[in-house]
Parts: sequence; structure tokens; C-alpha cells
Amino acid sequence: MTRTRKPGISRRTTLALMGGGVASLAAPWVASAQAKTIKIGMPTILSGRVAQLGTSSRNGVMIEVEKVNASGGLAGRQIEMVIRDSKGQPQEAARVARELVNTDGCELLIDAEASSGAFAVHEVARDLGVFCIHTNSETSSLTADPKQHIPNAFRTARQGVHDSIAGGNYAAAIAKAKGLKKWATCGPDYAYGRDTTGEYTTYLKRFAPDVEIISESWPKLFQPDYTEVVTKILQAKPQALYTCLWGGDLTSYIDQANIYALFSQMEVFAVNMADYTALTVVKNLPKGIHSGNRYIKTYPGTPENAAWGDAYKAKYGEYPTNWSWENATAIMLMAEAARKANSADGKKLAEAMKGLKIKSPFGADGTVTMRAEDNTLVGYAIGWGTTIPQEPYVPDVKPGDWKMIFELEAEWKKSKGFT
Amino acid sequence: MDLDALTGCLTTSACLVTQTTSGLIIGMLLFLVAVGLTLIFGVLKVVNFSHGAFYMFGAYFAMTTYQLSGSFALAMLAGAVGTAIIGLIFERGFMSRVYGRDVLMQLLVCYAFVLIFDDVVRMVWGPEFKSMGMPSAFQVMPLFIAGGVVPPYYLLLIGVALVAALVLGLGLARTRIGKVIRAAAHNPGMVSALGINTGLIYGGVFALGGGLAGLAGALAAPVRSLTPGMGFSVLIESFIVTVIGGMGSILGALVGALLIGLIRSFGSLGFPLFTEGLMYLFMVIVLVSRPSGLFGKEVA
Amino acid sequence: MSELQAGQGAALNISDAKSTRYRDVIIALIAFVVLALLPMLTSSKFLLDFVIRCSAYGLFATSLNLLVGYTGLTSFGHGMFFGLGAYGYGLIMQKTGVPIPVAFVATLLITFVFATVIGAICVRLKEIYFAFVTLAFQMLIHSTILSWVSFTGGDQGLRGGIPRPPFLGIDLSNHLHLYIFSCALLVIGLLLMRQIAQSPFGYTLRMIRDNATRASFVGIDVYRAKLTIFVLAALFASVGGMIMALFVSGAYPEFAYWTISGEGIFINMLGGVTTFLGPMVGTVLLLILNDTVTRLTEYHGIVLGIVILFFAIGLRKGLMDFVFEWYAQRRDAARERG
Repeated sequence: MTRTRKPGISRRTTLALMGGGVASLAAPWVASAQAKTIKIGMPTILSGRVAQLGTSSRNGVMIEVEKVNASGGLAGRQIEMVIRDSKGQPQEAARVARELVNTDGCELLIDAEASSGAFAVHEVARDLGVFCIHTNSETSSLTADPKQHIPNAFRTARQGVHDSIAGGNYAAAIAKAKGLKKWATCGPDYAYGRDTTGEYTTYLKRFAPDVEIISESWPKLFQPDYTEVVTKILQAKPQALYTCLWGGDLTSYIDQANIYALFSQMEVFAVNMADYTALTVVKNLPKGIHSGNRYIKTYPGTPENAAWGDAYKAKYGEYPTNWSWENATAIMLMAEAARKANSADGKKLAEAMKGLKIKSPFGADGTVTMRAEDNTLVGYAIGWGTTIPQEPYVPDVKPGDWKMIFELEAEWKKSKGFT
Repeated sequence: MDLDALTGCLTTSACLVTQTTSGLIIGMLLFLVAVGLTLIFGVLKVVNFSHGAFYMFGAYFAMTTYQLSGSFALAMLAGAVGTAIIGLIFERGFMSRVYGRDVLMQLLVCYAFVLIFDDVVRMVWGPEFKSMGMPSAFQVMPLFIAGGVVPPYYLLLIGVALVAALVLGLGLARTRIGKVIRAAAHNPGMVSALGINTGLIYGGVFALGGGLAGLAGALAAPVRSLTPGMGFSVLIESFIVTVIGGMGSILGALVGALLIGLIRSFGSLGFPLFTEGLMYLFMVIVLVSRPSGLFGKEVA
Repeated sequence: MSELQAGQGAALNISDAKSTRYRDVIIALIAFVVLALLPMLTSSKFLLDFVIRCSAYGLFATSLNLLVGYTGLTSFGHGMFFGLGAYGYGLIMQKTGVPIPVAFVATLLITFVFATVIGAICVRLKEIYFAFVTLAFQMLIHSTILSWVSFTGGDQGLRGGIPRPPFLGIDLSNHLHLYIFSCALLVIGLLLMRQIAQSPFGYTLRMIRDNATRASFVGIDVYRAKLTIFVLAALFASVGGMIMALFVSGAYPEFAYWTISGEGIFINMLGGVTTFLGPMVGTVLLLILNDTVTRLTEYHGIVLGIVILFFAIGLRKGLMDFVFEWYAQRRDAARERG
């Protein structure tokens, strides 16, 4: 929650109620407060269908902010989070981000928006030159495309292309072993779904050239009824199905495909299955769905990761989500960068952040790195395994090979004209 | 566009049967939601923009009841009755104050409740999505009927939808209450002059319409995820259905729902990326050629 | 009312209009000067942002009132022109690199073509069916934006920022310039819409609203008049969309979604549809309400819902309507006493 605000805020809010004009009166007050605390603004989605994105992002941030504050703060300054709802609308995300910087005196931004909202906040960061970490957008072009690049913006989220290379490699091995040649795909009809499905099939075919895609389905995001999608796939009679549906859409799809007995007729690869949001919610989880890890406390199987997951659950009463670790990582990186730069100034933080490698419970080898070349997170845990209907849900995760991911990602960037 | 897939399917009997079947299934589920909307419009002349919220309440009530009692039948009942009660309170307390006013005012009141109900659900059940789970009685292999695949659970849904259509259609046409309701829709002044309490009728119709939405939500709960705001996409689709079929016409809602179901099931083959657009296109064509919908009464 | 009386009424209005036009121009000039001086009094970027957003939404809402309040055309799809303006402008700037004024005019031309075609189909329908068909067109355009990924960027919108090359000494990447530019557009737009509302054509629209049959009896081409105002309103909504695209330096499918139309209607109800400035007051109210409530609580739905209920059921009219009636009553009461 944003309840960490200092007492003065209510006075300022009352003033704002009386009309925007008086906001300027509050400006000097903001300036004097800056010396002690540092405010980090965070636009995110706290209402509507994906409110869970906002709440678990907030939890992920707050659990780390408390640790940083307890150990002296960001270069000696206590962090104060100002978290606000954008309702998932890009123009509101832009508005909120500008307001956080211009009015609330936030010196740094954590952009916990999804999809187009992240691009809207990116433009604000470009315009105002404010330090910004994107924590939830997995759209590769946000950092991979040099046209988007600005030195003050970073990303601590997974990326579709990384998942697809690791996933394609994993699936190809199974396809070869089991002779799965005919594949169907089902991705939500928006940028993430289209890009991820496209990249996944590219790498699947590259590692297993016999594979043929015989059917593609593109349900709408948040579509309530998947009947036509399910029957279309059953009609095509593929040997395997790839889907990058996520969250509530994935659980709806599983429930509806279940009554058509779809899972007994083909191998299913669902990249977003192994996240507690979906694992704990689905009542009749079919056995043996192949999934990429999103967040799971048993992978990486280190005591640090398990402890982090348990601490989170003890604090919030539920397991972390993929969004939780992505946002927690943003704070961890900021804290380390501030230590290195001995400053909480946005410019200095940005310089210190480039290429920064930190110890992390979410790292594939115990560390994650903010890659200097394109300001995006690499080295995070990435792997695939099959599900069982109870804890630990995905007992045996096969780790992805980051060396291979780097090679193929570089090639992919070239093919897109990004390098 | 993938017209080959579409023509390929239209010439293969197995595909034709399966996609037609799934079109019917989609249509019947839609009908269950849309019928309440069209009923309320037919009698009260109100576009119940908060209909999706009633659907959402039905689903949440059913889920909680199922978790507490373990009884599927009780869960369905709770979804329908609980929502009907909310509908009654909503109509008597708020909607009845804006009858005869600008249609925009009515829409605003509904919109206000969409916002309030979504937040209430978020407060009570939390922001994360939930799943009710399929009762074990329905966790069986699907049936093969004339080459089409039909899960038994959907047979139940189709059955309920058909019963609802029949009871409403016949009830309005044949029974005394039905006649009073139709009379109230046609000339409320005359009906109240005859000593009949129109307020009671309006409240009853709204409760019935809301209860049907709640039942639809309850029936959908085992196969769809539950989130605050889940009623929204359902509202839009059932709205298209009623506009196409003709606002106020129960037969129209049935035909409209089946048409949309078929557009969805075959559209997903031929135009996988523009299925939604096809529905709006169809709506525009119907509205332009027959503004009052396929089965609506002609506008005076 | 006989034909003769209607004619007299119009003649009277024209002579009235001349004196009020000077007054309107002077009010507009004063308003612009006050707005332009604002940055000297305060350094608050928030306030400037607020006025820029007010310009975008205000033009949009006021143009919607030309349809809803003046002509009785309840459009549920007016937001499509807001979206069209944002996308038209953004796409032209990103793809061609022409100067900003050229892109501006070109966007208006595009909006004109779309509005003429869509309007020609829609205004044939009456009342709630007009509302439905405009909504359907809006959703069709929204679906097209989402589906046509290679051109519109799909759900991600127009990314990478919209270039803002300086023209005539105006540099819109400068916050202050953008502010003054938006204010100028707002004031000019409002002034033009005011002239439309007060013109004989504006009175024709009111007549159509009150009784379309009678209007057609006195020789008014109702279809043509409705289509004209539909297109004009679309052009102003499009300007609103362009300001929004300039503000966020992008265009997103949400700009063409029905919720924008819904917000426009809400603004009109909030401010009131019987006075010209009602929607402008509504815009300021809604934006203040939105900005403060989202600050205070994440359960803003409940708060906003209760406020709507207060206006719809409690007050039963928009704020400006309420104030206006209250003022008229007091004046009458004073006259009676005097």
C-alpha cells in the first residue's frame, strides 16, 4: 500500500482539491522534503481485470523497500514510494507519471505498467529525462529497438525473445524424442501474444526442422468464451499445442479445454503456466503440461529463493507472482547502484546501473545483470518443466542455456534491424 | 485472413458439424445473458448497462456457495436468487427514479453501479482472478453427436437456456402475469389506472432479468475465470446480440445469439484476427438496414 | 408557432448574434490572455499539464454537446473522432515528416472524409438507434486499429514518440510552447463552436432537437443539417485528439475506445448540456475529480460512482444547469419583489 506516505501529504491533497492553481504553493515544501527522503513514483494498474498486476508489483517493491530503508536507505536517503493507479489506460499512465515527477517531487520512476502503458511512460521518461525502470513490459522492442533507447530507462522484466529461445530449444528436444511434428498455436491477440508465439515457433522450427504449424488461433485478450478456439484446435488434430495465454485467460482456457478432453489428445506447452497465480487457482490442473517458469520458489532451487518466496507469503498471505520478482529486482538494482555511485541522483544511478551485476535469488547462477548494451535484465532464472497438480507444482525444471540465448538473441536483433 | 481454411471447413462435413455445434454452444451461452437484457428493455425501456455486473455477481455468489456447501445446485440457486435480490433493490432504490428521463441519465446511473459493483467485488473477493472448478459429475469425456463434439456440461447449459427461452416466451404470451407485463410495457398509465401496482411489475421484471444474468454467471463460473470487471466483455457481446435481434424481443435475442455464435466459430477460421470486427460490422449492417433489429418492432 | 414567427425569431437572433459575437470574441481574447499569463504566475508544470488535458477533453466534450445538447443526437461513438485525430496526426508525423500545420490540416481532412461517410449512414437513424450505430462504428474502428498491426502498431499504439519539429518559431517539444499552443486551440475552437451554436444554423439545430417534423415542414433539410453538425463536431473532437497525441507523444487504441465516448457523455452530464460552457465546466470537474480521487484511494470506482449518482439522482442535472436555474429563479424573485 501507499500508506508509507509522510503526514504532510494530506495537507497537499486538500490543497489540490481546491484547484490545481494552489499546487504551486506546495512546491517549495516538496523541495525541502527532498533532502531527507527520496520519493520513487510508481504508476501501475490497481483496478480492473489485471489489478493483480498492480498489487503483486507493489508487494514485490515494498518488501525490498523495507529492507533498503532498514539498512539506511538509498545512499542515506529513506525511500518513500508513491504508487498510483493508471487504470490500465496509457494516457492516464503518462499523466500519472508526469504528475508524480512534476507535482509529487518523485526523483525516480518505477514503471509497473503493462503493454502500451509502458511505452507511454517511456515517452514521459524521454521527455522529462527522469530515471525510470520498466518492470512489467515483456515486449522486446521496448529495449531492443535502438529507436526506443534512452540512457535513463531500464527494464527488469523477462523478455519474450529469451523465453522463446529457451522454450523452443526445450520443446524441440521433446518433439524429436516423441515425434511431435504437427503443432498448433494459440496466443492472445495482442502484441505480446503475437510476438511471443512468432518467436517461439521460429526457434522451435530451427531446433526441430520437421515441425510444422498446422493451426493458429488468436483469441482476444480477456475473451470469456474459448469454445471456438478449442474446437478449432481439436479439428486440426495436432500432436502438440503451444500457448502463451496467461493469468485468468489461461485458467479459463484450461477449464474449457478440460471438458473437451483436449489435454489427453496432445502435448501442451504453456509458457505462462508455472506462475502461482495460475497454478494455485486452477482446480483441476491437468498433469504434464510443459511450462516455462514465471516465478516459482523451487526454481532456482536455492535456499535464498525459497526464503524469499516464503517471506513474501508470510507477509502478504499469498505466493509471489512473476511481477513480484521483476519489481523486487528493480529495487535491488537501485540499492546496489546507489551504493556504487554513493548517490541517489537519477543521472548517477543510471551510470552505475549500466552493466551492473548483483546477487539475486532470481538469478540463473545466483546473479542477474543489467546488460549495458541495451539496458535490459539478463541472467534471470529461465527454465522449463512439467506440472503436477500440487506443490511443488513443477518438480523438475530444466534450466535454459543463457549462452545460447545470447547468441540467438544477437542474431534475432540483427534480423530485426536493431543492430 | 485465411479464406482457404474457411472454404476448406465448409466443404468438410466433420469440420462443418463441429464448428456449427460450437457456434450453437457459444450462442446459447450468450443468449442466457442477453435474454435478461432484452427483457428489461422490452418492459422498462431501459438499456441495463449494469447487466454485466449482475453476471459477475452471479458467478461470485455461485463460487462462494459452492466452496462452502459443495453443492452445485445450491450454487446455481444462490447465483440466480442473490442477483435477483440485488436487481430488485437496484431497480426500486435507483433506476425507478430515472424512468422517463433522458436515456443518458439512465445510462449514467447504470454506469455508476458498474463502477461501484466492480469495486465492491474487489473489496470482498480481492483483485486476483479466481476459479470455481468443475463439479466432478461433469468431469467426463465429451459426447460425439452427429460428428460434433459436445461436453456434457454444455448440454446442461443449452438445456437451461432453452428452458429459459420457452418459459419466458410462453409465460409472456400465455399467462395472466405475462399479459400484465406486456400491457405495462405498452401502456403503463392504463395498467396502473386499473389498480395494478406497476412498481411491483417493474421491480419484478428487473429482478427476473438480473436473476437470469446471475444464473448465466453462475453457470459460467465453472468454465470461466472470475475477476472484478469480468462482466464487461460479456455485456458488450450480449448488447450486440440484443441490438441485432431487436431490443425487447426474446426470439430476437435467441436468433441474434446464435448468429453471433456462428460468426465467431466460422469467423475464427476465416478471419482469425478480425473476428471481433466481424461482429461489429454485422451489427452496423443490421442497424442500417433494419434499425429496430431483426425481430424488433418497427420504430414509429 | 407559425412560419412567420419562426422567421422573425431567426431575424431577431441574427441581430442579437452581431452584438454577442463581439462580446464572445472579447471574452475569448481575455480568456486566452489570462491562460497565457498563467505560466508567469506559477512554475507548476502540473497546472500546465492540467490545462493541456482540459483543452483536449474540453474541445471533445463541447463538440459532443453540439450533438447531444443542441441537436438531440445522442452519440455513443463520438470518441472515434478523438481517436482518429490522435492516430491521423501521429501517423502523418511519424511516416511523412511534414511540418506540423500540414499534418494538422491533413488530419482534419481525413476526419472530414470519415465523418462524412459514417455520418451519412448514422444520422438517418433516430434516438437510441443512432446511439447504437455510432457505438458500433466506434468499436469497428477500434477493432481495426487493434488488428491492423503493421500500420497502427496494434494494441501497443504509436510508439517511439511523435516528432515535433519547430515551425514558425513554435517548438512544441518545449512544454511552455505546447501549453500556449493548446490554449490557443482551445480558445479558438470554443469560439468557433460558440459561433456555430449562435448562428441561424445553430437555431435550426435546436428546432430539429425540439421537433424534427416541424423543422422539416418549414423547409429545413433535416438530414443535411444533422450531417453537417455531425461532421463539424467530429472535426473539433479530432482537434482534441491531436492535442492529446501531442501531450502523451503517442496514440493508443484506448483513444478510440468507447470509454472515451462514455467520458465525454459523463462530462456533459456533469457540467450540464443547456449552457454552452457546461461541458467545459464538466471537463474541469471530471479531471479534478479523477486526479484527486486516484491520488487518495484505489477504490476510485466507488467514489466516482457515488458522485455520478449524486448528479443523476440527487441534483438531476448538470452543475451549470443547476447554477443557471438557481440564478434565474433568484432574478425572477428579485423582480417580483422590486
